[in-house]
Amino acid sequence: MRALVAPMCLALAACATAPAPADPELSSLGKHEVTAELVEIPGPFPANDLYNYAFVFKYRVRQVHRGSVPAGEILVGHYNPRKARAAAADEESGKIGGRLEQFRAGDVHRMALEEPLDHHWIGGIIDKYFEQKGTRYWAVWTNPASR
Amino acid sequence: MKSGWRQAQIGIFLAAIAVPPLVQTGIEVASGRTPQVLSLLRIRPSEANLRAFERELEEASWLAGPVRRAVQDAWWRGFGYAGDQVAAGRDGWLFYRQDVRYLVEPAGGDPPRDAWRAILDFRDQLAARGIALLVCPAPSKASIYPERLTRHAPRKVVSPTLDTLRRLREAGVETMDWFRLFQDARQRRSGEPHYLRLDTHWTAETARLAAEATGRRVLELGWLPGGMVDYHLRPVHVSRSGDLARMLGWEHPAVGLGRETVACHQVVRSDTGERYQDDPASPVLVLGDSFLQVFQADEPLAAGWIAQLARVLRRPVTSLVRNGGGATLVRQELSRRPALLTGKRVVIWEFAERDLRFGMEGWQRVTLPPAGPLPSAPIP
Repeated sequence: MRALVAPMCLALAACATAPAPADPELSSLGKHEVTAELVEIPGPFPANDLYNYAFVFKYRVRQVHRGSVPAGEILVGHYNPRKARAAAADEESGKIGGRLEQFRAGDVHRMALEEPLDHHWIGGIIDKYFEQKGTRYWAVWTNPASR
Repeated sequence: MKSGWRQAQIGIFLAAIAVPPLVQTGIEVASGRTPQVLSLLRIRPSEANLRAFERELEEASWLAGPVRRAVQDAWWRGFGYAGDQVAAGRDGWLFYRQDVRYLVEPAGGDPPRDAWRAILDFRDQLAARGIALLVCPAPSKASIYPERLTRHAPRKVVSPTLDTLRRLREAGVETMDWFRLFQDARQRRSGEPHYLRLDTHWTAETARLAAEATGRRVLELGWLPGGMVDYHLRPVHVSRSGDLARMLGWEHPAVGLGRETVACHQVVRSDTGERYQDDPASPVLVLGDSFLQVFQADEPLAAGWIAQLARVLRRPVTSLVRNGGGATLVRQELSRRPALLTGKRVVIWEFAERDLRFGMEGWQRVTLPPAGPLPSAPIP
């Protein structure tokens, strides 16, 4: 039994610590690439019936890999956040995607970003932070990242 | 025999609840993804999280799509029921169920109180900047064509929006009554319908009718003089897939071919031959939703309500349009981008009438940033 358990544990540990495969979309799309923590989800996501909406989230920037994004908190619009990023793109959204399957406060994401949001998405925007000034980024590609 | 049948039933039941998640997990693992069911272990077990989890499972399920289609088909063939979002009318017409609910379900307020307050508040904030406001609720298809929904409906219904319009006028808010405009047009012209069969929106010619009446009204009110830009119309036809057909699913038997050919008139600058384009320096700002987007930002471009309004005003306008966001989202965005109000004398605000009750994010009072000095320069 021990002979079986030890290799299985090793294999699981290897899976857990293996770096995510490189994603060329992250490093090529958008003006900026950051790793940031999703600080909060400010309300329920809108229903996907007649229209899909972009939903603005608050992130805390941990690292800027490309471009120039200010340190601290930023506001990022994600298209149709009810869906996994790989399944979210449609003819309205243009090219978006990534490996993130679900948005949860406290998770860390690596994202390719464009700005400003309203130049890249002309549909409805749910922005609970609308009274806060500053740039709204448009998330083009979103992958989960380690904490 | 009896015991055997019982065991078979138990077996079928166990297979029904065990096979779909196992196959789903297999599909997810095979495609290199983490089985979605494991996310249940990572989320806080609140009601909102569990409902979101349930929705995500449903959306990702390999089985949900085919089963949903089969059930939709059975409901449609058996009872003529097209689903929670779409109501199937007569002669292949589809209606957005929320539009129908707005007409037939009793309202909570009279008129919806939040909407009322938000509109008056917005009017007052604009007035403090020397900007006039014209409010234009867009009638739903069900308000104009009730008899296409069901043969039991009268040819003309009284939308609750008319009462809201009356009360707004009594409070000194300038409004447009497109309901009477379209109903009068229906009586004069019995040919082409004013709304699209498979879509929530009006036809391009109806957008033109509404824009012409609105533009004339702005000029009659003396809020600004006519401009100096000449536009002419270029006839064009487009094939449009309806938003209701898309929502129902292209394969649904109620959808048919799913596209309609629509006659449009593109607005073209007479001096340059270019299609109509907005001007951020215009004295007119248009706020609205998808009723202003159709044929304007969609194919064939520059043939929607906004371009037609500009043609009547003889000047390009500035526009801020958000699908499904006419009630609050456009005002929120305006408060975030107050430069859009620079040099403005008139704001024309369109929203779908159903938004009076069902508007996305409700009817929040949105405070615009403090105004600068009132405009005094003459309008070019």
